Amino acid sequence: MLLSRVADRLYWAARYIERAEDTARLVRAHGELMADLPAHVTTRWEPLVTVVGSDAQFERSLDGHRSQSRSQSQSRSQSQSQSQSQSQSQSHGGGSTQLPADPRLGEGTEMAVASFLVSDRSNANSVISCVIAARENLRTTRDTVPRDGWRTLNDLYLYVSTEADRGRDRRVRERFLNRVIADSRKLDGVLATAMTHDEAYVMWRLGRALERANMTTRVLGVRAAEVLSAPHAVIGSNGGGVVIDDGADELDGAHGEIQWMGVLRSVQGLQMYSRAVRGPIEGPSVVRFLLEHDRFPRAVRALLREIRRALAELPDPGVPLDAVDHVEAVLRESASSSTDGAALDDAMDSLQVAIATLDRRITDRYLQVGP
Amino acid sequence: MTETRAARSPWDEMRDADGVPRPASEAVLGVIDRLGVEELHARQATAAADILTMGITFTVYSDGTGIDRAWPFDVIPRVIEAGEWARIERGLVQRLHALNQFIDDVYNDRRIVADGVFPADLLDDSVNYRVECQGVHPKFGVWAHISGSDLVRDSDGTMYVLEDNLRVPSGVSYVMENRAVAKRAFPEVFARQTIAPVDAYTDELNKLLASLAPEGVTNPSIAVLTPGIFNSAYFEHAFLAQRMGATLVEGGDLAVQDDDRVYMRTIDGLEPVDVIYRRIDDLFLDPEVFNPESQLGVPGLMRAWKAGKVGIANAPGAGVADDKVVYAWVPDMIRYYLGEEPLMPNVPTYRCQYDDERRFVLDNLRELVLKPANESGGYGILIGNRATDAQLAAQVESIEGDPRNWVAQPILDLSTAPTLIGDAIEPRHVDLRPFILTGETSYVTAGGLTRVALPKGSLVVNSSQGGGSKDTWIVDLGAQWEDY
Repeated sequence: MLLSRVADRLYWAARYIERAEDTARLVRAHGELMADLPAHVTTRWEPLVTVVGSDAQFERSLDGHRSQSRSQSQSRSQSQSQSQSQSQSQSHGGGSTQLPADPRLGEGTEMAVASFLVSDRSNANSVISCVIAARENLRTTRDTVPRDGWRTLNDLYLYVSTEADRGRDRRVRERFLNRVIADSRKLDGVLATAMTHDEAYVMWRLGRALERANMTTRVLGVRAAEVLSAPHAVIGSNGGGVVIDDGADELDGAHGEIQWMGVLRSVQGLQMYSRAVRGPIEGPSVVRFLLEHDRFPRAVRALLREIRRALAELPDPGVPLDAVDHVEAVLRESASSSTDGAALDDAMDSLQVAIATLDRRITDRYLQVGP
Repeated sequence: MTETRAARSPWDEMRDADGVPRPASEAVLGVIDRLGVEELHARQATAAADILTMGITFTVYSDGTGIDRAWPFDVIPRVIEAGEWARIERGLVQRLHALNQFIDDVYNDRRIVADGVFPADLLDDSVNYRVECQGVHPKFGVWAHISGSDLVRDSDGTMYVLEDNLRVPSGVSYVMENRAVAKRAFPEVFARQTIAPVDAYTDELNKLLASLAPEGVTNPSIAVLTPGIFNSAYFEHAFLAQRMGATLVEGGDLAVQDDDRVYMRTIDGLEPVDVIYRRIDDLFLDPEVFNPESQLGVPGLMRAWKAGKVGIANAPGAGVADDKVVYAWVPDMIRYYLGEEPLMPNVPTYRCQYDDERRFVLDNLRELVLKPANESGGYGILIGNRATDAQLAAQVESIEGDPRNWVAQPILDLSTAPTLIGDAIEPRHVDLRPFILTGETSYVTAGGLTRVALPKGSLVVNSSQGGGSKDTWIVDLGAQWEDY
């Protein structure tokens, strides 16, 4: 017996803690990517904001910070086009003295984006907001969840509440993100091993899997599409990343492999990809791996399998299962988009729409506390 | 490790007038002496950290917003010898028997009124009397299944019942949590002594609730009805549901159907509920009968209860006997219904509705505690010798404006217990709230919740107003129960 209200809160507790974990992993992987790229190459942080779907809010949060600094007053899309044109002019100028902006600009952006994604309480999708929301949801289902599970999440909540603001420094931030990821994994472990695998647990699994699938499509739609769209993205075209040409393209071309490693790391997929593919890290095959693999737990197809299995344990799952069929159909259509950035972006948008429909079907069927 | 003593010494729970540890406290005081304040501090800090990560909280309201605070806990336990406790237990069981017979009587035959023992106008004026409950016969004739009486000890060592909380008394979860924390703080004492365990409560509660199921229901479905996360006792509601394997529900989760049965809304449709342990006030229970604005309750719940289709604890209307005025009659009730003398004394209580008693109260305001009849949580209480002239003047006005709503009692010199305050161990005033279960049989918690007023000299123990808590140990020394 599972109350609809409790089902709703478990489902959302799972979604929020998964979102916190995934966002933490995304920021961590990006920080790592930065470390791998040569110092004079500026990697953009703003796309991360797009991944978590908080662009408009990020603009608003920046407006406050930027009012004193003219050079940083552009909106994201403006600064994006600006940095591209600047890179082009830079390729002619050559020297670092000609860098269009304060060399700390990259760092400043990193700081702004990282704080926004990690510790900004006004951003509903920040790591801290998601941990708080997950706890609020689990707090009201304490009678259903094993005590250790609640304790793990409450501990994490206490930790992020006191530590989040200290995460401006990169090393401190990394420790913070590691803790969020580890505790989210621990929570899953506690529930998997200490909670009866009844309908309540199924709602938890469902929330986890749906959020995770959503995040993988977002990473692909923004980060992967961006790397694919870069002029020299196809590794072969510049000699497998060995030849480094002097200019703007070096970021996206020569470091393509590193960029793809970054994409894989954002979904904890690097090692399993290497194991599955046993070849060079190539864009299209990374995209296929993250979409099509039916056993890698963050690949969309594998997640749909998990969602299907979970639904099968709930009463009368007909309508939500139809919605899963639909997501799978959209997934099949997206197969052809693995080489073209713009097409991939569009395909991922369609996939997200289909996942949102699935979420609505689950809500209508199980979570609505009707009259 | 010295304790300062006030000029007129209140009773110390752990040491006698000469400062010698009472027999049951000897072991723990010995350990505390050996540990020293620094180690005691370390254990207090560990306990505080435990409380924080276990998420043991209560909610305080200030400016309309609720703040979740960690439960305040003093690491030094309060000790009561088992022989004394056995007598208190018997007194409480007796008291609840009489109170339940009284409630059943006033909603049915009103024998006590007919026999001239209890004044009829008190019922008609009582804000807690529910005409909607007239003629109802709950199982076993019991209305107040779960009660939490407040006990205080005066300077001569007498333990009094200060009030009977018969509506939705809270705090029992903290009894169990305090024990869990104390066991970690003083493992050496628990290993050496016989300290009565407190964990059985939820099991006893579960059995009691199951016994309230409608006739013919064998494996009853039990729900704990909470007003929700914003209630100050939400933690407790979740705790009890969790311990009993009951379902924690909010009003919106329940519906009464045309068959007069109560159902929960589940992912698989409506599922029946047989017993409800409600933690919301009478007036919010059923918008069809009581407050029509209530979002917390369940339309039709009273109908289902009256039809015998659902058991409700505590029964609606039980609060009629939980009234600081009705309190004054409890000793008479015990004599009237049970033909026994009260085993636990009442604090002498002056009722302002009677001219002579009111005159006495108004003439002796500074020596009395003034209590509004129908407030809980320590709100509205005025302690005469600590009030300003303006407060006293306002008090006179309140009493004259609504004498029925006021009673007065002598200012008791509440007993103290050693408490860790900063770097010292100092005496602080305490009370005790044991929990009593009444159904076909009775059960009393081993000890209860000791609340401690942390500010020096304060008598207000409510956690909403700066009170802390202690674990309460019933220590069995294995001898002479009757000559304590």
